[in-house]
Amino acid sequence: MKRIFGPILAPTLAVAAMACAAPLLASQKLGETQELRAPEAVYAKTCGYCHGRNVGPIILGRAIPADTVKYIVRHGQNGMPAFRPTEVKPSELDALALWIEKSTARSGEHGQ
Amino acid sequence: MSEINMDRRGLLGAGIIGAASLGLGTGASAKNPAPLAPGLTKADFSGAMKAFRGVVGAEWVFGDEDAVAPYTKTYIPDPNGYHKPVGAVCPESVEQVQEIVRIANTYRQPLWTVSTGKNMGYGMTAPATPGQVVLDLKRMNRILEVDADLGTCLLEPGVTYQQLKDYLVENNIPLWIDVPTVGPIASPVGNTLDRGVGYTPYGEHFMFQCGMEVVLPDGQLMRTGMGSIKGSTAWQAFKWGYGPYVDGLFTQSNYGVVTKMGLWLMPKPPVYKPFMVRHPNMEDTPKIIEAMRPLRVSSLVANCNLMMSASYQLAMFKRRNEIVPDGAPLDEVSLKKAAKANGLGMWNTYFALYGTEQTVAAIEPIIRAQLTASGGEVMTAAEMEGNPWFHHHSTLMEGGLNLDEIGLLRWRGAGGGLAWFAPVAAARGIEAERQTALAKEIVEKYGFDYTAAYAIGWRDLHHILALLFDKSDAEEHRKADACYRELVTRFGAQGWASYRTGVNSMELVAQQYGSVNREFNAKIKHALDPNGILAPGKSGIM
Ligand SMILES: Cc1cc2nc3c(=O)[nH]c(=O)nc-3n(C[C@H](O)[C@H](O)[C@H](O)COP(=O)(O)OP(=O)(O)OC[C@H]3O[C@@H](n4cnc5c(N)ncnc54)[C@H](O)[C@@H]3O)c2cc1C
Repeated sequence: MKRIFGPILAPTLAVAAMACAAPLLASQKLGETQELRAPEAVYAKTCGYCHGRNVGPIILGRAIPADTVKYIVRHGQNGMPAFRPTEVKPSELDALALWIEKSTARSGEHGQ
Repeated sequence: MSEINMDRRGLLGAGIIGAASLGLGTGASAKNPAPLAPGLTKADFSGAMKAFRGVVGAEWVFGDEDAVAPYTKTYIPDPNGYHKPVGAVCPESVEQVQEIVRIANTYRQPLWTVSTGKNMGYGMTAPATPGQVVLDLKRMNRILEVDADLGTCLLEPGVTYQQLKDYLVENNIPLWIDVPTVGPIASPVGNTLDRGVGYTPYGEHFMFQCGMEVVLPDGQLMRTGMGSIKGSTAWQAFKWGYGPYVDGLFTQSNYGVVTKMGLWLMPKPPVYKPFMVRHPNMEDTPKIIEAMRPLRVSSLVANCNLMMSASYQLAMFKRRNEIVPDGAPLDEVSLKKAAKANGLGMWNTYFALYGTEQTVAAIEPIIRAQLTASGGEVMTAAEMEGNPWFHHHSTLMEGGLNLDEIGLLRWRGAGGGLAWFAPVAAARGIEAERQTALAKEIVEKYGFDYTAAYAIGWRDLHHILALLFDKSDAEEHRKADACYRELVTRFGAQGWASYRTGVNSMELVAQQYGSVNREFNAKIKHALDPNGILAPGKSGIM
């Protein structure tokens, strides 16, 4: 398993690390399209409005496998809308999914 | 030429009725691919998709089942799986949109345009008829201009309310945005084109739109208002331009692809004071509206009010079985008890005052007197601090962002079913009272709940009923479909038609507006889009 996933995971981790180094709330410049966002920013500006706020279930700190995160984001589960590659770019989703898998729980979050 | 085109149009129309009445599903799978648009061959479809790839690159054209999956998710009832797109194409520039439209004409491939595609409870990115390719404009997300003095902006379709808010905050520009309840993931352009609403004084979104750029069905680029005058500085300042006013033609329609839109933004007021008025009984409906109307017509209360029923409010943060056991009706005694325990009335009306210390202080007593006389308790942050419902609505009324209301989708089971039913009436108490009675009768007949609100506009009411159901339960899903149709039909018979509707009911609602209106819309459509390539079936227009 490790050998199969190794080459795929390595660049993904690199993307995640790079993305994390970007400013948290990467700003948009007038006349330019939105830049790639770090996982923390995608979480804050999309997922975190529901998850951990009693709207959707808590997802941080639960070691949800990255592949599961990706599947749910693209298909939308139950009341959750699906998010298209135009909304959360494929590379943003790779980094986000891994970040969620590795995340720790946040004390301020609540919900089921 | 026109004969051929009319034939194809006939086929598209027949497609709606035929597939629906035969119960043909479009549930795409390798074994059972989604049907193509009527009259299209597999070769036409592949030809179009190949040509689209040539324009935007292979990674931004989606055709296989897995890749199209995010475009097929909906909340609306669609028991036959009729509203499924066959693909998606995602341009990043106006020129690419023009090229895509030209290709669509060549292959007769219909395109369903979305900006951010979060038309939740109305169909998201799902098209009104089968066989359409979603023209997904989310990648076009440039904020092109913000004029802090005039309070205007010029946006591309993919800009979300979140992006615009972030831009204003980060650049310290003291202008507000006005959001629909689901701001973070939705867009000013998409929402305005569907004539959506928000809750600051700029809440009637289309009223605050100014200037558009549109790719016409033949690929030409047109600017409305002052936008086609070389050197004009007033494209975002003067709405009307010269001659017929055409911007409205591109809302709730399929006459063009809007690639830029100007909007007015409200200057941040020195004082913002949110209020909530609690009324104790369901029967208070007419009193509330009679009390609010003069305040709204005179603009003493300048924002669109939300008058929320206890059940709608509770459904945001609670589960139904926390209030009554599964299977039991949502009776008024249990509702009242739950409402009271959560600091809510049976009706909860939210409004705000915007101005200076002096103007707010001068208006507040007038409003308090009027609403107290109607039997309401007038509350402010002083009394409601920490109440999650008050927090939600006071966020909305200052153009703030949250997604709290998505919680509605978990009210009843986990299946995520929601269809908005939004009939319009004049702002008169008696009309609301009759609407509530009729809506309750219909939804309860099918075993659903009256989870509704009234948006009190300037002189109108939007009755907003969230038909909540468990989409994972096939029987309930079918019932929701039947219930929705009965709502549309029986309200229509009383003269109450919807201001907006989901892809599942566009044809039904269009019929209610009459044959002359339909023919007028069709004539424009046929003149502009002889090949019927833009969003067939949108608002019932073929
Ligand atoms: C819980 C909840 C609360 C909601 N509250 C509100 C609310 O308060 N107010 C409100 O208005 N809505 C509300 N909605 C409905 C909906 O989610 C919003 O209106 C949302 O803004 C619409 O999605 P969008 O902005 O992504 O528009 P899109 O989905 O991109 O567009 C909407 C439609 O407009 C047309 N269109 C879009 N872009 C173009 C274009 N560029 N050219 C031509 N035609 C185009 C298409 O027909 C498209 O289907 C709510 C939904 C939910 C689930």
